[in-house]
Amino acid sequence: MVLSTSPTVQRPQEFKSARPGRNQPQDSPTAIEIADLNAYYGDFQALHQVNIRIPQNHVTAFIGPSGCGKSTLLRWINRMNDIIPTARASGTIRLGDTNVLARTTDVVDLRRHIGIVFQKPNPFPKSIYDNVAFGPRLHFKTTSSQLDQLVEWSLRKAALWDEVKDRLHKSALGLSGGQQQRLCIARTIAVGPKILLMDEPCSALDPASTARVEDLIFELSEQYSIIIVTHNMQQAARCSDSTVFFYEGRVVECGPTIQVFTRPKQKQTEDYVTGKFG
Amino acid sequence: MAVSNTLNRTRSNGSRRTVDRGFQVVCLLVASLALVILVTLVTAILFRGGNWLSLGFLLNGHRENAPEQSGVGQAIIGSIVVCLLCGTAALPIGIGTAVFLEEYQPLSRAGRWLHGFIQLNVSNLAGVPSIVYGILGVTAFVYMFGLFGQIQANKPPPMEFGATYFYQTKTLGKKWVQFRATDPTQQVFEIVAPLQATNESRQAIELNVIDRSATPPSDPELRDRTVYSGATASILSTKRPWYFHLPFSKSVLSAGLTLALVILPIVIIASQEAIRAVPPSLREAAYGLGANKWQVVSTTVLPSALPGIMTGAILAMSRAIGEAAPLLAVMGGVISTTTSLGNLMDKSPVLPVTIYRWAQDENPAFENLAAAAIIVLLVFLLLMNSVAIFVRNRAERKHA
Repeated sequence: MVLSTSPTVQRPQEFKSARPGRNQPQDSPTAIEIADLNAYYGDFQALHQVNIRIPQNHVTAFIGPSGCGKSTLLRWINRMNDIIPTARASGTIRLGDTNVLARTTDVVDLRRHIGIVFQKPNPFPKSIYDNVAFGPRLHFKTTSSQLDQLVEWSLRKAALWDEVKDRLHKSALGLSGGQQQRLCIARTIAVGPKILLMDEPCSALDPASTARVEDLIFELSEQYSIIIVTHNMQQAARCSDSTVFFYEGRVVECGPTIQVFTRPKQKQTEDYVTGKFG
Repeated sequence: MAVSNTLNRTRSNGSRRTVDRGFQVVCLLVASLALVILVTLVTAILFRGGNWLSLGFLLNGHRENAPEQSGVGQAIIGSIVVCLLCGTAALPIGIGTAVFLEEYQPLSRAGRWLHGFIQLNVSNLAGVPSIVYGILGVTAFVYMFGLFGQIQANKPPPMEFGATYFYQTKTLGKKWVQFRATDPTQQVFEIVAPLQATNESRQAIELNVIDRSATPPSDPELRDRTVYSGATASILSTKRPWYFHLPFSKSVLSAGLTLALVILPIVIIASQEAIRAVPPSLREAAYGLGANKWQVVSTTVLPSALPGIMTGAILAMSRAIGEAAPLLAVMGGVISTTTSLGNLMDKSPVLPVTIYRWAQDENPAFENLAAAAIIVLLVFLLLMNSVAIFVRNRAERKHA
């Protein structure tokens, strides 16, 4: 892969998506199709006519300055915005055959298929084991041995098992910030989602923990379609396959990460990814 | 040049410092005044009542004209029972209301109006004097708005469960026999015909009824079950521990429920505060994992809020245990009962009412007893508040 040769200020240098053998997002099937989405908080319109496609088993990054609507979009994909009384949306978010935004959609079942990880690690004040078992206990009737297996599987997937296997029944609040965030990821994948939404998952973490979580995100994309909202350009470049750039509630540019970061089509994107504004 | 430099220094540093110092002293004095009053109060009570405290005082009931043998035994049990009833009634209702107000904020116009209306009422009810709740308790629990009929002296209440009535009479052989009462409203029963009864050793026997002019039988077995025709049997009842009637009349249950009304607003407000203090991120986490509202409330919100709710509830109950006015209205000024508390429909003396009655007694020795009872009440309050502080501290350590 040849990178752009134009001299820029802070071009990211590492692209995991450029690794040999990685198939490109445009070649893979669609996980989520978003069409004509308009979102509002009361009278304020947060998103205007959003039309994007989220590829399956890839990492999609939402980037853009604060207040540009990227978190709003993320929170509409699994209807987390239902909690906010003033939030409304029109348009369609298509997941397979279902329209996520339809009134008839079973939100509880939807959130089982679309998991979310938040900005600040928010483990429950329970044991590590109970944190991971929380979701499965909500949805399934399991025997304790099945649950043990599921907890171990999830923690292994989240690259946390070796660090916590001897203290599963200790409080999750005793873990470090990075460990807590990986626990939150383990907790989310324990209910068996197909899609993972991550709302700035590393913004509260130190650089070493961030690197671990980024590696994890990239590994998880083998099996999950991942959408990550981030303020960190380097992060978006490093661990995503495709990137969507938002500005003032509109999608400015959307494409493979390498292209968006090295040969952006829009001037605004160029300015943003090189750090001239935002 | 700054404007302030052109002003004349009319206030010296010295005078400003004096005012500052003076204010500090005033604050200290005011604060000490509260402390002095409290210390005086406690010392005075200890002096008056301290000598009267003894094991007997804690175990005995009230005896008329015998202060040395009187005590707060019955009152302590009564207070604990009333307080537990009050907590059992107020906690679920209070927590439920708080969960509704905090977690179920309705979207519809009518729903929002109802929500606001309940919130406003809760805030207002917290300031209503407790005697008002006492009168409400009399109407709602003691008489139940007359829905189940009137309570009449010496008659069983209109609807009751767990009581058996029987008549009792003495046979010619001076033995007691009992038989079931078919109409418990009748106080006395005239025996005219043979009927089934049980004797003192609970064996079924047939009552032998003879005419007054007839000669009594000589066989002792027959004499033991023989009565004259026209002999009267008087009514008696046995009440099970779960004995219960409607309306509740003047009973510990009415008292507990009335106190529950008194503390309900406090419990609701404390629970609301505790629920509001649960971080929104925890709710989001639970929603994000696909929990529905009930699951979010039961698995996440309530466990996190429980220490706060318990602290509020215990403090509210410690207010309830000291209330006299509503209890006077609902149970009357009961100071002693002949039998110990057997079921929720019994009356019982309670600590604050006992104090009230003793403080009024013509025998001045009872005033000292009242002081001793106050010490007991204060110890109870102190214990409950310590439990509340303990619960809160433990929760804080757990979440640190």
